[in-house]
Amino acid sequence: MSSIFRGKFAVSLKIVILAVVTAILSLLAQSAFATGESAIGAFLVFAIAALNFTYFTKFSIPLKFFIPGILFFIAFVIAPIIFTVVMSVFNYQTGNYISKPASIEQVLILGVEPDANQTTFDLVSGKDSSGNFAVLVSDIANKRFFISTQDSITDINASKLTINEYGVATTAPGFTAISDSELAANDAYSKILYKYQDSYYIKIEGQGVGAVFRQKITYDAKSDTMKNIITGETYINNGKGNFALEGSPETVLTPGWRTPIWFENYTKLVTDSRFRTPLIKVFIWTVVFAGLTVLSTFSFGLLLALALNRRMRGRRIYRSILILPYAMPSIMSILIWGGMFDSEFGAINNILHTHIAWFSSATFARAAVLLVNLWLGFPYFYLICSGSLQAIPSELLEAAAIDGANPRQIFRRITLPLLLQILSPLLIASFAYNFNNFNLIYLLTGGGPRNSLDGEVAGATDILISYTYQIAFGRGMNDFGLASAISVIIFLLVASISFYGLRKSKVMETFG
Amino acid sequence: MSKWLKENLWRHAFATAMCLFSLFPLYLVVLSSFKSSGSLQLDSFVPKELSWANYKMLFSSPKIPFLSWVKNSLIISSVVAISSVVVGAASAFAFSRLKFKGKKFGIQLLLLVQMFPAVLALSAVYVIMERVYSFAPSIGLGSQTGLILVYLGGSMGVNIWLLKGFVDSIPAELDEAAKIDGASPVQTYWLIFIPLATPILAVVCLLSFIGTFNEFIVARLFLVEMQGRTVAVGLQQFIGGQYASNWGAFAAGSILASIPIVIIFLSLQKYIVNGLTAGSVKG
Repeated sequence: MSSIFRGKFAVSLKIVILAVVTAILSLLAQSAFATGESAIGAFLVFAIAALNFTYFTKFSIPLKFFIPGILFFIAFVIAPIIFTVVMSVFNYQTGNYISKPASIEQVLILGVEPDANQTTFDLVSGKDSSGNFAVLVSDIANKRFFISTQDSITDINASKLTINEYGVATTAPGFTAISDSELAANDAYSKILYKYQDSYYIKIEGQGVGAVFRQKITYDAKSDTMKNIITGETYINNGKGNFALEGSPETVLTPGWRTPIWFENYTKLVTDSRFRTPLIKVFIWTVVFAGLTVLSTFSFGLLLALALNRRMRGRRIYRSILILPYAMPSIMSILIWGGMFDSEFGAINNILHTHIAWFSSATFARAAVLLVNLWLGFPYFYLICSGSLQAIPSELLEAAAIDGANPRQIFRRITLPLLLQILSPLLIASFAYNFNNFNLIYLLTGGGPRNSLDGEVAGATDILISYTYQIAFGRGMNDFGLASAISVIIFLLVASISFYGLRKSKVMETFG
Repeated sequence: MSKWLKENLWRHAFATAMCLFSLFPLYLVVLSSFKSSGSLQLDSFVPKELSWANYKMLFSSPKIPFLSWVKNSLIISSVVAISSVVVGAASAFAFSRLKFKGKKFGIQLLLLVQMFPAVLALSAVYVIMERVYSFAPSIGLGSQTGLILVYLGGSMGVNIWLLKGFVDSIPAELDEAAKIDGASPVQTYWLIFIPLATPILAVVCLLSFIGTFNEFIVARLFLVEMQGRTVAVGLQQFIGGQYASNWGAFAAGSILASIPIVIIFLSLQKYIVNGLTAGSVKG
């Protein structure tokens, strides 16, 4: 058996596995660099180096155990966290999503105007006799036919052409057409601008159709400005990811690009009441929601544990049933509850004989969220409490009973304080968990009710994390920069709560 | 009799009330899954009809690739569960048993990032995987492999932490004896530790399976194609998407999808409760 881990077989196995992994990663790194994703490429190169170094040298034995774990950890945990922090100082949102070169390219593509008549032509794409991309254009109104390339235009006499029943030229001598499927497969063709007259050119607008345009906006790389050559207006880089009209900073060319704006996302949250007010509102509800959830789930769980904390008939059955809400996949349960609260067809209104529109009223929606979370969470504390109750030394309780304490006094003076001491890290963990209980809010109420017609992003039941999600991925405006800034703030909050809890429970002292 | 009443009546009354509270939604789902009306309405507590239409629809409607959702979920969850235990166990062993520089820092870092809720880094993960897609579409955004990588990597911190907790509970005497007998750490790992830890690793593997099976939001963002979805994302579409609130089919689907999870959970109850006190495991 031990020979597997020593000797030639083990060494060759190691080499084969490492060679395969190295090959795959190198291939990925190569294509990453080729597409300009140098950060990802650099990480892959680092991973290759680290893996080979670790397993081919005796540098560190512990490293051999956790290098794969570390690499995954860096790639998918640490990197996203760092990335989040970096994004939080960027203007990175709908309208400022792409890189600067891509933005300039887009602005130039959009910065064109049609000629006065908005002329369009029927045309055929292909190549001319010297192999350049060309279009065979039929100006049917003027009975004019010509082949246009990027830098030349050649009129052709109609007698030399094959013209179909619509009056469109289909073939010309020396001109080879490109098939429609080939055109569709390569969108480079549609980007080519073909010469027309004066500053105008022809651009392919669809299958067999071209339109006459001229460039209105031009870019000057030296001064980093955009210029409207027709009106003479100048657009200056405003340092926030857009070219803004000189003298009128609100008028910007779109799309912009993502760019650092330093602490603006953070200061916006503090100083701009459009962002501050909802954030404070959401924060307060998050704390209330997490606090009430811990309180309710813990109380019901503890009460149940106390009720069933003795040999009694049916205890096992009770236990198996009580654990069910916890065993069910929580997504399913949350969605089921969502259906039960439906105002028209929901079972809750059926039972209560009411017609409450649960998710349209802030108060009812919040009550529903708390009730559902009680259902989801009490079995956890029931399990924990019944375990912990047994851990309390019975001598303590017996001694108290002998001293004449009644059961209520025993509970209040001995059992509860001891339990709270044992369970305080779990209570804090539960608070931190519910502070970020995304699934519940997102799947039950979607954060609503919210008045989205007024452009309101924060709903009545939105907690910080669902609010952040809404900002980053919601409908309409997506603002990754702002969402990341809020994420960083939440992380700091949760980390401090948790560290406070850990310090208190002295878990940290056992490290080392 | 009166003493029994005083001591036990409230216990039974309270426990029964909570049991009814627990069972009510579950009973309703079972009821709805056999109804043809397609709502979560409660017309009566006693089932009035027993229609298998919802179940049949899941398996026969061409518009609902329920089986391929289940298959996707099973594949993704198993790959994630097994790989994360294989990778995580080695790291946990090192953190628990080996001495090295920076160990304390490593453990604290693990604990700290465990507090960074995964959903928050979601926009970053999304952007990263979008870029990966630009040069390797088969492992980037929209691919199941990409989703597996995100799950695997994203749960690495939590998994190592959880596994370390379990590994710490395995007595170290055998390792030490092996060390005295001249075994290298690698031999100790494969020959002593792995056989000892197999049951625990199996439990963690199943917990990770449940966790991945339950995951919704990342899968929702990642998997766009109908065929490629997971059960959780697919079923959600019945009530939120283009099917216009088909509760009957949703109920039937979630019952089928939940049964294996509930069975795994109940059979592992003891271990899970132990794990709960060591650190949160199930969301």
